[in-house]
Amino acid sequence: MDSLFTLTPPAAWGAPLLVTALMLPVAALMLAFVLGGRHAERVVLATLPIGLGVAVAIAAAVLHQGATLHYDLGGWAPPLGVSLHADGLSATLLLTTAVVLCAVGLYARADFRVPSGAREARAPLAFWTLLLAVWAGLNAVFLGQDLFNLYVALELLTFAAVPLVCLRGSPQTIAAALRYLLFALLGSVLYLLGGALFYGAYGTLDIALLSARLASGDPIAPAALAAAALMTAGLLAKTALFPLHLWLPPAHAGAPAAGSAVLSALVVKASFFLILRLWFDVMPDPLTHLAAQVLATLGAAAILFGGILALRQARLKMLIAYSTLAQIGYLFLVFPLVASPAAAPALDLVQAPGAWTGGVLQLVSHAFAKAAMFMAAGLIAGALGHDQVRGLGGLGRVLPMTVFAFALAGLSLMGLPPSGGFAAKWLLLSAAIETGQWWWTLVMLAGGLLTGGYLFRVLAPALSTRGPPLTLVKPVERSRELVVLGLALCSVVLGLVPLSSFGLVQIGRLGATGIGLP
Amino acid sequence: MSSVTLFGLCGAALVGLGLFGLIVQPGVLRKILAFNLLGSGVLLLFGVIARRGAAAGIGSDPVPQALIITALVVAFAATVLAVALLRRLVQETGRDSLDTDG
Amino acid sequence: MTQSGLLVAALGTPVLTLLACLWRPVRERMLGLLVLAPLPALVVAVMALLGTGETAPMILDPGRLQIGLALDRPGTLLLGVAALLWSAAGAYASTYLRGKPNGGRFAVFWLLTLTGSLGVFVAADLLSFYLTFALVSLAAWGLVAHDGTVRARRAGVVYLLLAVLGEVFLLLAFVLLAVASPGDSLAIGAVVAALPGSPWCGLTLGLLIAGFGLKAGLVPLHVWLPIAHPAAPMPASAVLSGVIVKAGIIGLIRFLPWDAGLVDWGQALTAIGLCTAFYAVLIGITQANPKTVLAYSTASQMGLVAAVFGLGLAAGDGTAVTAGTFYAAHHLLAKGALFLAVGVVAATDARRLWPVLVPAGLLALGFGGLPLTGGFLAKLAVKPVLGYGLVGWLGTLSAIGSTLLMSHFLHRVAANPAPEPGAAAAPGLVWPWWVMCLAALGLPWVLAPLGGLGPWSHALGWATLWGGLWPVLIGGLLALGLRRWGAHLPKVPEGDLLVLLRNAGRVAAAVGDAIEHADGWLRRWPVAGVLLLVLALVLWGAMLASTR
Repeated sequence: MDSLFTLTPPAAWGAPLLVTALMLPVAALMLAFVLGGRHAERVVLATLPIGLGVAVAIAAAVLHQGATLHYDLGGWAPPLGVSLHADGLSATLLLTTAVVLCAVGLYARADFRVPSGAREARAPLAFWTLLLAVWAGLNAVFLGQDLFNLYVALELLTFAAVPLVCLRGSPQTIAAALRYLLFALLGSVLYLLGGALFYGAYGTLDIALLSARLASGDPIAPAALAAAALMTAGLLAKTALFPLHLWLPPAHAGAPAAGSAVLSALVVKASFFLILRLWFDVMPDPLTHLAAQVLATLGAAAILFGGILALRQARLKMLIAYSTLAQIGYLFLVFPLVASPAAAPALDLVQAPGAWTGGVLQLVSHAFAKAAMFMAAGLIAGALGHDQVRGLGGLGRVLPMTVFAFALAGLSLMGLPPSGGFAAKWLLLSAAIETGQWWWTLVMLAGGLLTGGYLFRVLAPALSTRGPPLTLVKPVERSRELVVLGLALCSVVLGLVPLSSFGLVQIGRLGATGIGLP
Repeated sequence: MSSVTLFGLCGAALVGLGLFGLIVQPGVLRKILAFNLLGSGVLLLFGVIARRGAAAGIGSDPVPQALIITALVVAFAATVLAVALLRRLVQETGRDSLDTDG
Repeated sequence: MTQSGLLVAALGTPVLTLLACLWRPVRERMLGLLVLAPLPALVVAVMALLGTGETAPMILDPGRLQIGLALDRPGTLLLGVAALLWSAAGAYASTYLRGKPNGGRFAVFWLLTLTGSLGVFVAADLLSFYLTFALVSLAAWGLVAHDGTVRARRAGVVYLLLAVLGEVFLLLAFVLLAVASPGDSLAIGAVVAALPGSPWCGLTLGLLIAGFGLKAGLVPLHVWLPIAHPAAPMPASAVLSGVIVKAGIIGLIRFLPWDAGLVDWGQALTAIGLCTAFYAVLIGITQANPKTVLAYSTASQMGLVAAVFGLGLAAGDGTAVTAGTFYAAHHLLAKGALFLAVGVVAATDARRLWPVLVPAGLLALGFGGLPLTGGFLAKLAVKPVLGYGLVGWLGTLSAIGSTLLMSHFLHRVAANPAPEPGAAAAPGLVWPWWVMCLAALGLPWVLAPLGGLGPWSHALGWATLWGGLWPVLIGGLLALGLRRWGAHLPKVPEGDLLVLLRNAGRVAAAVGDAIEHADGWLRRWPVAGVLLLVLALVLWGAMLASTR
């Protein structure tokens, strides 16, 4: 296998792939904007498969090379230049993004179609261009290697995500979008302030250089610690970790289904990804132990709080939005498990590959499952004319495939085998026990119970057959159901892939060699 | 008092004022203005760092100045988006605060 | 076909049938085919029992994780009898549910549960076992709640809540097992071998016993049994009580470290088992619904099996497994048959009951150890394990209790014949019942060597026969007393201990209200803004503290 790839030097791999991943959505965005109307849809649908191909190629290149892909823009090396950088985690997230966006694109055709002969409407053009903008922002975040560049990428992402919330234009959604925008801006100013402090203390914002200077042995300036704390807090505001979730439920529930899927599955993950970068690529390890406990405590609170609130929501989309709040909590349990002194005596991640892989797997399987759930909820709301949980009785008879897809996605969310969510939970539980932090296992298990509870609230009436048969106000297209089902299957099949193939997500971690998973 | 200290204190004061306004003021327009104040404060700090030359070891470091210009553009874009949304909200509902809708 | 290929076919058939159900016309007709789906598993079990050696396991990656299927002695025995009951109950279901709505949905849940239920008997590693166990536990909800009445829905909620709780126990236990095991292998044998040396040995054992005990109906986690059984359709009750409960038994067999001689845990399990055996009888005789009585009897019988396992665990004695498995296999056949009988009686006119009641009476009293029945052999098999001390006496006492409970059952079932004069059960209901009845009476004699019993002549000695008979006679006398004075007994609701939780809903609603209120407060803009700044300070403080 290796001989196949030794023919090409690694540098030659990185440049075209990384630049394409960044430029493709931007170029398509320009094109869609210029052509307008029904061409926007065609541009998006033509670009998405190419982007998927690029993401697959990057993942394959990283996997086979076993090392990070790297490219200095214009040949200028940091600190003067800006470099792009794809390690295993970036590649995994690029791939996830491409898959989810492909599904969203196919799904959204029915909602944002410009009928032939009709006048061009505002919403379709806005949706398709925003979709490309979100994609560009996500790719920029996943590839960036400079903290300031990442700030710009994150802002672009926010500016693309906010209008997705209020595409419908109703006062509630506009208020939700404003709430989201203003809180995200508060977060990004804190991030920028942190950036200023970092630059003031160390004279660079390049992740690799900064990390080297921080680890150089001198005592770390309190200003640098303040910078890290401010940046983390700002990113938490954008990730909507409890108790900073004020904007998430109305925004995610108010957006059109395709938009909710993108927001919940991908957009909140971008800021989480930056926290991972900051904590594990920039900051020296011992500094984060205590703070990791703080983050995980908030994560645990999010799991319980979000789960209980999801149990009490009257609307299906609100239920799913609160479920996102809870699932985000799981991601933050990764920090103490990876950064535990028991797990990483040698200041690297080799000792805790299970926790790292589990966290990434949770992220990816939640992305697939949550996108599938929001899109299924969109189909249900479209077909019934409402999305009240109480009014779902007998849904299984009229929309069997949608309910099936929803149930499959729920299976993964709940962490039942053989789903990706199960594999993630298994790895996180093992890591918690191995590092002697058993209390997190209780939270994870309780969270599973709550998840089961709110899914039951939806699925039990949907499967029941009592009461008058439901009447559909609009038929549901089989092709859209298949898209949702495909995405739900992705999240389940993740658990069937042998865990050793997730070695991808370890690539680029410090000194990672073996995988050593159960 | 050197100019660096003076501007640093000014920046800190702006950040404080901006944070206070953004968090406490109920009106959205005031929040947007406060955000601009806050942003200006942070950029002023960046400027101070550039003047000081800090860790880069050269006086009048040009990199932060480039960063300031970029951040200004971003902040401008954010303001425009927020104001546009606010206009729509006021048109639709006639109110300009967020805390009543829960 | 090789043996391991057969093993795959045994599980593959229900899975393929399930996939065929994705197509609506097939789904609507699936009820009639339920009888066939378990047959390959039956063939596998019979072949393995007839063959001499162990069946070749089917391991996917022998080097590392060792995920796959395997068939050992207890697994084979239970797989065979379970497949027989699934098949007979499937045939019964096709008649029982004919013409009623939602047959397709019932068939889907039936096949899902069937797949999981057969799977737990052959799963060879932690992950497959967890998957199949979760499947059988969760999919059975569809059988419990099938009728859709208020009662069935409540039963479904209680069932599912407890099943998920059991899953949580087991997930944690399995993770502990995997972490404590030195190698990569997830094979059950390998991880259980490392259990006695595990730093979390006690916790793991506690979780395993809680998780599997819940499924097997051990007190105090038995509450789902008497609620779920009466609510489910008749054939579903038969498999719930017959087979699904045995998923807990096979779990105990597979996951307890039999060679380690864990005296404390063994005694604890014995105590729990005996408590269950007597407690379930006491509550059972206050019940009026024959299906509820049978459910309590199941709990009581599984309590005895748990007691046998506990003794084996304490003594480090593997023969307890053999005996317990044999006892459980008989229970599976006989209890399945009795549930089918309840349905047959309910469709038969009072004057034609005797051809059903007499064999049902033999089966029922078999649980008390009536000589020459299958139950008599089952009692003989566990006798050496129970011994002749205090526990042995308690075992005999439980036989008396079982007789009393089953007499009560016969009394209750005879009181519920079909109201229409001249009614007769459909042949599709009668012949599966007869198959199961004959199997429960006859098969234990054929399988006796697997239960560790000697030749038949040993079982047919006068002293042995008398030893089996007198507890039944005493139980019968007590039953007469119960009929005379039974009206004075207090009425205990189905699911006894659940009464303690009747305020739980109100408490949960209050907690939910409080949390919703807190959410409203936290989501106010100034609160969230200040929290954001506080959080930044806290993180800074935490990092500063770490530099010291």
